[in-house]
Amino acid sequence: MAFFEQDIHDAPSTFLSKYVFSFDHKVIAKQFLWYGIAFLGIGGMMALMIRWTLAFPGEPFPIIGDILFPNSGGIVPPDTYAMLFTLHGTIMIFFAITPILIGAFGNFCIPLMIGARDMVFPTLNMLSFWLAVLSAVLLLASLFTPLGGAAGGWTSYPTLSTLIGSAGVGQTLWCLSLFVLGVSSTMGAVNYIATIITLRAPGMGYFDMPLTVWGLWLTAVLNAIFLPVLGAGLLLLTFDRVFGTTFFLAGAAATSGSGDPVLFQHVFWIFGHPEVYILILPAWGIVSDLLSFFSRKPAFGAKATALAMTSITILSTVVYGHHMYSTQMSPLLTQSFMMLTMVISIPSAVFFANWLGTLWKGSIRFQTPMLFSLGVVFVFGLGGLTGLYLATVSTDLYLHDTYFVVGHFHYTMAASVLLGGFAGTYFWFPKMYGRMMNERLGKIHFWISMVGLNGIFMGMMIIGHAGMHRRIYNPFVYEFLQNLIPLNRFITYSALVMGAGQLFFVWNFIYSMYKGPIATQNPWEVGTLDWTIPSPAPHYNFKEIPVVRCGPHELGNPNLVGKDFQYQTEELVKA
Amino acid sequence: MNLLLNFFMKFFVPSANAAEHVGFFEAIKPPIDISTNGHLIDSLFQLTTNLILFFFFFVCLGIFGFSYLYSKKRHPKPLYNHGTSRKQLALVAGIGALVFIMVDMQITTISNHDFINHFLNYPKEENEKVLRVEVLAQQWAWNFRYPGKDGIFNTEDDVVTLNDLRVPVNTKVIFQVSSKDVIHALYFPNARIKVDAMPGRISRLWYELTKTGLYDIACAEMCGTFHYRMQAKLTVYPQDEFETWQKEMQERATHVTEQDKPDLFWGWQWESTSTLSKN
Repeated sequence: MAFFEQDIHDAPSTFLSKYVFSFDHKVIAKQFLWYGIAFLGIGGMMALMIRWTLAFPGEPFPIIGDILFPNSGGIVPPDTYAMLFTLHGTIMIFFAITPILIGAFGNFCIPLMIGARDMVFPTLNMLSFWLAVLSAVLLLASLFTPLGGAAGGWTSYPTLSTLIGSAGVGQTLWCLSLFVLGVSSTMGAVNYIATIITLRAPGMGYFDMPLTVWGLWLTAVLNAIFLPVLGAGLLLLTFDRVFGTTFFLAGAAATSGSGDPVLFQHVFWIFGHPEVYILILPAWGIVSDLLSFFSRKPAFGAKATALAMTSITILSTVVYGHHMYSTQMSPLLTQSFMMLTMVISIPSAVFFANWLGTLWKGSIRFQTPMLFSLGVVFVFGLGGLTGLYLATVSTDLYLHDTYFVVGHFHYTMAASVLLGGFAGTYFWFPKMYGRMMNERLGKIHFWISMVGLNGIFMGMMIIGHAGMHRRIYNPFVYEFLQNLIPLNRFITYSALVMGAGQLFFVWNFIYSMYKGPIATQNPWEVGTLDWTIPSPAPHYNFKEIPVVRCGPHELGNPNLVGKDFQYQTEELVKA
Repeated sequence: MNLLLNFFMKFFVPSANAAEHVGFFEAIKPPIDISTNGHLIDSLFQLTTNLILFFFFFVCLGIFGFSYLYSKKRHPKPLYNHGTSRKQLALVAGIGALVFIMVDMQITTISNHDFINHFLNYPKEENEKVLRVEVLAQQWAWNFRYPGKDGIFNTEDDVVTLNDLRVPVNTKVIFQVSSKDVIHALYFPNARIKVDAMPGRISRLWYELTKTGLYDIACAEMCGTFHYRMQAKLTVYPQDEFETWQKEMQERATHVTEQDKPDLFWGWQWESTSTLSKN
């Protein structure tokens, strides 16, 4: 089915061409992985500072507080606090999760799983990474401008994000940084879409692709369509800040003409709602595959799962208004968005049923990737269901902009995506580095993370329901929040525990890269194309382009002899 | 070393100012409901919780039950099944339909009904006795404006207060909310309601309070460094006390308040809700 010959060029020999400016999708994937993990650490530290401030207002941040905030004696000052939560959101979404889930797994898995030698546009792929680096430089540079980095929240609503609310050049750099990142992600997305369409191995129909590839593909489609929308909004915002236009200025602030700050919210959420699915779809795909691989039986209703993910992708584009109920849109719009949002629960219920159906009568091996996948099913169940409160307009009138929202979207975007990402990392690590990660450390990492994040995010939903609103430096200036001090401390302790638990992962990752046991070609005993080649994956992956003869989840067939799975290159054995 | 010590002190020494006498379940209750419509939100929240727990119970049953029953040790031979038989597809579709009918349809209908018949059902100013208040948000304070004796906004006898909203109990209050600079959100935790205050727009909100007392008003939308300090107080008076206060304030507005204080000149003409409810 490949549309053209995939030539094999000589392997790059210099350090620069091999590890830095590499065209090889596997190297770019690892670059994205390191980039993402580094930012995950930075964003996580920011989260800990935020949590510390909320639990112990007015007390110096331990150990590194004195170095970071010398002017206030180690206490996080209120303006820095605003900067911290703005950059925590921005970094986690655009610089940690996007590179890991989409940049790393997208680049690594797509060619390997569809039997291609590389991406269809290797140069574009390389540019995509280096633009992401440029964007990170811009973002970090904004921290060193006179008035500091952006502090208007990751949503950066005007007019707070215009010169009226943020005078510093940091906010402008933030806009430019995300604009550049948008270009980078769009390049990646175009590449993924084209690669999946043109370079599938001969014999591989769309429903013969592993669900991981389905998830990444749908993500790429959303990315390609909606990141330009964000880019447009940010460009207009930059014009407002730099050239004195008034797209988003209104009221007393607009000296000439008049725009509308709510217009930005529309533009932002047209992008912003698909964005949450951009982040979660790869995780869904990975989990759907891993559940089947480690249950040793075919994915239950794989086609239905793929179609459910597709319909969610489509629905995700028409529900964005539920982020804006409190701006008082026309009631007709409010009702429509409420109804459309609710419809999403049908496909969600379908793939949840399929996930559980996959476990049903399997022979489950509880290795680390499986534990993380089961974790995703649990936390996404919670995260998805709690969305219902926020989709219904009357409860949203109360819960909008409270910690309930924060807890909900962290369950879906942080907990599920992070666990999905870890599942993928533990699973593909042997193919990336040719060594296995340590199971025991992986399991410790899983249980600490699971306990920690449920403590954090369940706690957040509880304090949100108790009325605590978002983005406040010191909640306890309010009388009605006085009772929440102990619970806020509990959340902070959970966050510290979870943060400490990640050290097990970092240690495991670095140690296993050099000292882990050598991985066999197919340590997990699964049949997708990435496991038909040696570990680590060789230069240009496949010497011969494989021919696909069966689906990706042929496990547990009783008529197989000697093994319980089939490679996709083998003729399907009749059951 | 000192720093390290401080750090561990935080963990193990309970703080004195934490409200220790309040039990966990008492502490996590939402603030006391003082409005006529707040119970609609609370009951819908409760209903949604029950429905969610019902479905999440089955998810957990699947995860933990299947993990127990079908572990490699207990169930070495997996079932070779693709989940594509007509029966299985019907089951999955049935689950989807069940969620939609049992949860979505139900809570959407209730929420929609409450939204249209209560939260959007602004009191008719001509027929009912209502209090009208204009609210102007700014970084980082709330300005409230009551009409003076003439009942017309934006005239010299208006009563203007800062971070101090006083309303009578058992009376419908309509707010028209706008902002001077950035987007804020007028948040009444005790009335379970909030609305954005946006520059260049007027948004609306109404409620009727049922309990007298002193309550918090907060800003719910991020509005800058001192967002957390954008706090106002809500005083709910008995009818007669409110009238006394109002009379006194109106006197002061015409006689005491400086006429050339520019802070006080921010009002707008009241937009009648009867014309608004049509569009």
